[in-house]
Amino acid sequence: MDAFKLMKELRVNYEQEAHYLPKETGLNLIESTTEDDNRISAKCRDAKVEDLWSLTSFFGYSTQTFVLAVNLLDRFLAMIRIQPKHLSCVSVSCLHMAAKVTEEECNLAPADDLIRIGQCRFTVSDLCRMEKIVAEKLDFKSKAITALTFLHLYHQITLSHSTDRKEKLSLEKLEAQLKACLCRISFSKAKPSVLALSLLRQEIEGIQSEDMLEIAYHIQRHLKITDGELLLWSERVARCLSDYASPECSKPNHKKLQWIVSRRTAQNLHSYRVVPDEDSCEDMMSSGEESLSSSLGSDAEGPFFPLHLRRQKQRQPLHA
Amino acid sequence: MLTCNKSGDRMVVDAPNSNGPFQPVALMHFRDVAPAEQEKLFIQKLRQCCVLFDFLSDPLSDLKWKEVKRAALSEMVEYITHNRNVITEPIYPEVVHMFAVNMFRTLPPSSNPTGAEFDPEEDEPTLEAAWPHLQLVYEFFLRFLESPDFQPNIAKKYIDQKFVMQLLDLFDSEDPRERDFLKTTLHRIYGKFLGLRAYIRKQINNIFYRFIYETEHHNGIAELLEILGSIINGFALPLKEEHKIFLLKVLLPLHKVKSLSVYHPQLAYCVVQFLEKDSTLTEPVVMALLKYWPKTHSPKEVMFLNELEEILDVIEPSEFVKVQEPLFRQLAKCVAERALYYWNNEYIMSLISDNAAKILPIMFPALYRNSKTHWNKTIHGLIYNALKLFMEMNQKLFDDCTQQFRAEKNKEKAKSKEREEAWIKIENLAKSNPQFFMYVDSSDLNSPVAMETDVPLIEDVLRLKKTVEEGAIQLQHEQRKERPMVRRKSELPQDIYTTKALESHRRAENMLTTHDGL
Repeated sequence: MDAFKLMKELRVNYEQEAHYLPKETGLNLIESTTEDDNRISAKCRDAKVEDLWSLTSFFGYSTQTFVLAVNLLDRFLAMIRIQPKHLSCVSVSCLHMAAKVTEEECNLAPADDLIRIGQCRFTVSDLCRMEKIVAEKLDFKSKAITALTFLHLYHQITLSHSTDRKEKLSLEKLEAQLKACLCRISFSKAKPSVLALSLLRQEIEGIQSEDMLEIAYHIQRHLKITDGELLLWSERVARCLSDYASPECSKPNHKKLQWIVSRRTAQNLHSYRVVPDEDSCEDMMSSGEESLSSSLGSDAEGPFFPLHLRRQKQRQPLHA
Repeated sequence: MLTCNKSGDRMVVDAPNSNGPFQPVALMHFRDVAPAEQEKLFIQKLRQCCVLFDFLSDPLSDLKWKEVKRAALSEMVEYITHNRNVITEPIYPEVVHMFAVNMFRTLPPSSNPTGAEFDPEEDEPTLEAAWPHLQLVYEFFLRFLESPDFQPNIAKKYIDQKFVMQLLDLFDSEDPRERDFLKTTLHRIYGKFLGLRAYIRKQINNIFYRFIYETEHHNGIAELLEILGSIINGFALPLKEEHKIFLLKVLLPLHKVKSLSVYHPQLAYCVVQFLEKDSTLTEPVVMALLKYWPKTHSPKEVMFLNELEEILDVIEPSEFVKVQEPLFRQLAKCVAERALYYWNNEYIMSLISDNAAKILPIMFPALYRNSKTHWNKTIHGLIYNALKLFMEMNQKLFDDCTQQFRAEKNKEKAKSKEREEAWIKIENLAKSNPQFFMYVDSSDLNSPVAMETDVPLIEDVLRLKKTVEEGAIQLQHEQRKERPMVRRKSELPQDIYTTKALESHRRAENMLTTHDGL
């Protein structure tokens, strides 16, 4: 696509994007909510979006599906107040809807797989009903213009102007960064065009290409994005990305996940791990240097030495 | 010999039977005899119990006298349990002798002498027929050893190396009850006779060596390992070289024997005990385990995974770092429930997260490759959990791994496409050769499908399926054409020497005369 057409398309999208923005007041409300049983909080939403990313990744869906799903979710949440216990159903419905719009039929994971893998508590019919509700509330506007749309356009524009730098500006990397940002609800308040441009600039500054920077500036002027707005979001993006890029590994939270194994494996596990420790009275025959633990019972029925492992020391996990 | 002819619950003497020098008399009870006489009575009873009865070929013989012996043994058990100072010096040789006479026998041959070896998991063990007596003898001997009056210094004259050797031989018994007693007996002996300890260890070593490198058959490995477990537990630090060698040359090779499942829990316990004593042994242990790792995904693999997890539970972080790479490369191959369950172990996860940058790239492809589709729903769910934990550890690392995986996959795809195009090119070249149709066999499939990945990708499988289907359809078309049903004879060799050799070859039967015209 030639540069002129691209710019034109850019403009068109820019004019349309406002229709797909979640209501800011709704988002603010979520952000200001503290942990509460009745309302969705930012933390709640963010955790759910991360779950959606896990599912996206697992089923091999594209970033487009993910971004669209988050968009649908945020728009819905900003509009309708729901209880946290329904959040799971809403978010998975959004993912399913987004996948139907974006993915090819053959790549679509069936609803019951989604539910099973996501360890959800609701049924397929619940999911279908929820999808209908979401679609209705959002006026059936499922094909949204998102930051990804802009990101793709920017990328194409940039490349069409400086072909020798093709490898350096990685779309995949930009997509991953966008995804990281979307895991925080505050970024849903940004205009998609601005968010995408912030990401683009960030990356260009990283690879230090003067002519790409020039192009980015050109885009900014074309869309009439103010410096102030761009700066604001660039700062926030920078902070988010530096967290994202930190090499620190956090300890994962085991409690949220269910570990279901087959019965045979479970039996195998139990025979090794679950039997509680027995105290063996250490009978120190210490005339030599070596002693013998007399955990073998003295009569035939007594407990013999533990067939399992005695956890004698509690290991302290190292802190990252 | 004291006889008694009181009525009541005493057995009365009958005419002597054919059982040799046995004098079938029931002796008095201890309680009915003055303390001064008890020692003598004790010896008499012991000697009486040196007579052996036949339980096997003629189980109904001498029932009365078998009962006499049984009662006597039982009484003696009670006697030494509840009385002090009855184990006097003359008693020792009698007891040991009685035990030896009863116990030290040639074990009956294996229950499957012709066929497969006795498989402890499948076959019913052949139980000792004389168990009613043997059990009491074992019981008695144990009480004897454990009695507070027992003095090793006196006993060591009689319980010597020869005794121990014979005791060890019995461990090959098929009867698990016997082995159980033997285990406890040997354990007590080890505990009380310091002078015999080195000898016992050496003999056990020899049994293991023979088992591993020669026979691969012994019924008592598990019991011996149990004893060793508590021996190892009592090792003083620093560990002697002898013990380390034992670990490396005996315990670790025990992992490769076929019948591992019989004694694996005990073996794992011993190994872990060693590591708790001396964590510097971790690296050789883990590397050996990886070396002996079963090549197919069998139930044996589950045992190894269990053991490995136990080792990891106690591993020092510094040792972990040394072995993490080969270890996780092996784990990456196990898309088994048991392996995936490792991710549920918090200590292991904390070790992994401390070294995530190295470990996760190894594990990632295995997990991710199977994530989209796995036929086993349980495993599918576990893979998700593993990936999710992974993601929580470090999002960027996860994304980087994803990108790398995709990049490699694209490269592979491009390569296989190139290969296919190359083949098509060749085929086209061949087709343009006018002699093509003379040589080709028309039922060839379109193009060979090269599968370089160890796990066939879905696309490859689908492509293969399509190709096979096309080939099959083509074949059907071919068969409809008229084809003479000619059996293809093998081509005769062109070489002159071979032809001559064939002609001059005569079958042996033509030359030999048959016997009797048959």
